Amino acid sequence: MQNSESNTWMQRSIPISLVLMTALAVHLPLLLLMLPLKSYDTNLHIFFASHYAHHWFDPWNTKWYAGFTQTTYPPLPQQWVALISPLLGLDLGYMAIQLIAILLLAVGVYRFSLLWVSPRAASFAALASVFLGSESFLVYSAGQLPTTFAAPIYLNALPFLFEWVRFRSWSSFFKAIALFTAAAAAHHFTLLFGSFFFAIPVLALAFRDRADGQSVTMRACAMRTILIVAVVSVAIAVVLLPFWIALFRYPVTQTPIPHPSRANYILNPEWGLNYFVIPYGAMILALPYIIVRGSTFARLRPLLFGFWIAFLIGLGGTTPVGHWLLGRAFDVLTMERFSYWATLLALPIVGMMASELVGRFRATAAFALSILAAGTCAAAVGWVTWHPNDAQDFKVNEVAAWLNRDGHDSYRYVTLGFGNKLSRLSTLTDAGSVDGEWNSGRRLPELTHYGVGALTSSKYFGEAGLDSLRAMLRHADYYGLKWVIVRDHYYDPLLWFAGWRPVDSLDDKTITIWSKDGVPPATAVNSSQIPPRWQGLMWGTLPFGSSVIAIFLLLIPARKRHRVRHEYPFPVNEEDLAPGRLAS
Amino acid sequence: MNKGGLLAVFIFAVTILLVVAGTRWPVPSAAAYAGGGQVSRTASSPEAAVSNLCDRIRAHAWDDAYNSLANKARFSALDFQHDLNGTYPGLLTYTNLDSFEMQPLHASASDAEIRLRLKWATVVGPSVTTRQLRVVRNGDRWQVEWPITSQPTLAPEVIPVNYLRWDVIDRGAGDDWGMQNVDAPHVRIVDMHPVQRAEGTVILGELLNDDIYPAYVAVTATLLRKDQTPIATEGSFDKISHVLLPKQVTPFLILFPDVTLADVGSVRMTPFSSLIAASADPVIEIQSQHMSPAPDASLSGQLVNQSGQVANVAHVLAAFYDSTGQVVWIADQYVDRALLPQTPTPFDIHIPEDLARKIASERTVVASYSFGGTES
Repeated sequence: MQNSESNTWMQRSIPISLVLMTALAVHLPLLLLMLPLKSYDTNLHIFFASHYAHHWFDPWNTKWYAGFTQTTYPPLPQQWVALISPLLGLDLGYMAIQLIAILLLAVGVYRFSLLWVSPRAASFAALASVFLGSESFLVYSAGQLPTTFAAPIYLNALPFLFEWVRFRSWSSFFKAIALFTAAAAAHHFTLLFGSFFFAIPVLALAFRDRADGQSVTMRACAMRTILIVAVVSVAIAVVLLPFWIALFRYPVTQTPIPHPSRANYILNPEWGLNYFVIPYGAMILALPYIIVRGSTFARLRPLLFGFWIAFLIGLGGTTPVGHWLLGRAFDVLTMERFSYWATLLALPIVGMMASELVGRFRATAAFALSILAAGTCAAAVGWVTWHPNDAQDFKVNEVAAWLNRDGHDSYRYVTLGFGNKLSRLSTLTDAGSVDGEWNSGRRLPELTHYGVGALTSSKYFGEAGLDSLRAMLRHADYYGLKWVIVRDHYYDPLLWFAGWRPVDSLDDKTITIWSKDGVPPATAVNSSQIPPRWQGLMWGTLPFGSSVIAIFLLLIPARKRHRVRHEYPFPVNEEDLAPGRLAS
Repeated sequence: MNKGGLLAVFIFAVTILLVVAGTRWPVPSAAAYAGGGQVSRTASSPEAAVSNLCDRIRAHAWDDAYNSLANKARFSALDFQHDLNGTYPGLLTYTNLDSFEMQPLHASASDAEIRLRLKWATVVGPSVTTRQLRVVRNGDRWQVEWPITSQPTLAPEVIPVNYLRWDVIDRGAGDDWGMQNVDAPHVRIVDMHPVQRAEGTVILGELLNDDIYPAYVAVTATLLRKDQTPIATEGSFDKISHVLLPKQVTPFLILFPDVTLADVGSVRMTPFSSLIAASADPVIEIQSQHMSPAPDASLSGQLVNQSGQVANVAHVLAAFYDSTGQVVWIADQYVDRALLPQTPTPFDIHIPEDLARKIASERTVVASYSFGGTES
């Protein structure tokens, strides 16, 4: 009797509440440990959020690049962090928003998977999303809050897109528009590429399924697709208008900056480990299944194609596909987000596999899958410790305090050897820098002409990096650049021969402050790029407002819709044969 | 096989083909990370052997580079590394190999000679070293015979020093450097004139510390159009010796890229000086100075560090004069090896060929920097 109950339990779907509790149990402690603060970009997003916290309606940030506009980056997750920062502080606020994104991902994966597979398989997919290596990699090692925030919103929008195109549900129409717009307000690339990898397969599915149940003509499906694409495009154009204006006025023409995600992972196995093995984890073992099953079931083929293209691009320079399909964008974008999307696209099929395995091998399979999932997640979380972004961890509070006192912040500064502590320092100090970590926001020719990242790490960019640094130091008077804060004595000879002198040392003499005499106080140099006030008002209102509208719309309950049955060409598992879908 | 099976096979096959293609012929960004663009070069030719060696040097894989050498039995891996980077910290110690060029000089079935130019990305600018390599055939592969240069080692010795030193008493810890509220040392520009060069307009000149105290100096120039509106402002940056002892003169050069001299109506010069603590140590003597005529005109000589301390980086700045005593060019060189006490270190400053014929005399000043120690 007990065994029979156990078997029944093994054949049920996993309740979504249990999936969410698992996500909380796994990720809440890690986020409370502030693990993402060690990642590449977390401090950058906290820096942006810090600006919104102080200047919600003024996107002009004077702390980097002698002034730059934050309208060059969609603001939604950073504005949410800023909003809750008075209660939790910026760091904890960031962790709270990241946690919400992780929870939303589980829901999004579940709802997205329901389009393709059975509720049981979808629930396995949702559970797998909690342990997804690429998610943990982006959260704890890359610190890509906007990507991990936008993707779940996008995944949650896709079932509404399906319902609108397939069933002309007006409620879904408005919900889809609100969610797509909010996703774009969180991360523009997710929307742009998500349209190809996620939306096209879903539309293909809707067109394919149009004859099932409530049949609908091809023309009707096409018209609905055109209508929603048009409305979403207009909504995004309006909500992110300042972003588009900044993009058209200052297109990204700067020299591409090398990034290891574009390396060939076979020729450079260390980057293969970083950008393939860690993000995919145990999913690598499932790749043959994903391809075979995705090919075998005609219904899954659109999803398979989306996965395959994202997978190939996510391999960076291992294949020429990214270079062919993205053109110049290949040298501008980083590839780990494509692997992230590929893993999300694979999850429904992985859920199907897990459902089959547990259905067939019961506790043995459940145990093995649990170990693999936990191992994948643990490896991705541990990666930030085994492969730290900042080899030397140090506090920048003392430097910030130095810059904030005695009028030192009347001048600009640049750090050398600070890695991604620059964002942290910039958040804490009132002084402005000519450097920064948001490369697409910079306009200074000394930075854009050389194909290098932040000046603080210029030596790692070889001759180009050092040329860029020298060009900037050469124009110190113009930029009011009086302070060079050095934590790497490699740069000392240059500073000495260029006329800087050490004037103070901090942090147990590990940090030296160099100064150049005769430098005038900093003045505004990029005034022509300051967005007008109306753009600031739009930027502070519409992106955030789009998320509020989306939340309100989602609170409106949807009508229960009858389920449509879809038959696969041959049975695999009784549960998977009847993937009742249409979640709402 | 059904349609689905065929599709799966197609996806597998295409993926594998794409990976093979991407690995065999990497896209440019991947090739840059892979160190040149090919999967692995077997040392099947002299050039491939040298290229492999340079890739290893670039990757700081010293042991691998050393183990690939034909004559490694004659020296240790550390000797090899010191030969490239210096025994004592200098410009090349922490630098990276940026690029390299090979020029085959001779080749036979069993050996070859290749001139290798190594371009290092140092913090103060590119530095080029040239080595003539012999490459020998060993079975089916080629190996480089590295022309090791033994690095000088210092014998224990007591060197008495008796140098001048000037200290400055600050107001306190809160006093920023340069905010001294005392009269700045008196400096003046003793020569200045603009010239048109291919890279833009260049201001050449000399600055004299006319005071009895050492001075930190810098020079800024603003080019003005004929209607007195400014065209551009630039500083001397590192083309000047920033620390001048009393009565010392430094040449300076200010470059205005992309500015045509014909557009310039006048030049506003702004010399800057402030009081600075300084010492005459280390004294760097210039020996065997020699001008080589065009073509390949250059000023060469040897620097001898007279003090007992290692000077890690030396900067040689030379002013060249015509027969009337007017400055016609200023050139400089960073010496990429540390200056050891009492040990001659060569320098060689290139002079543009079109100017070399006008040069009648020259004056050379040397500035140096020591990591965590003394500077002058």
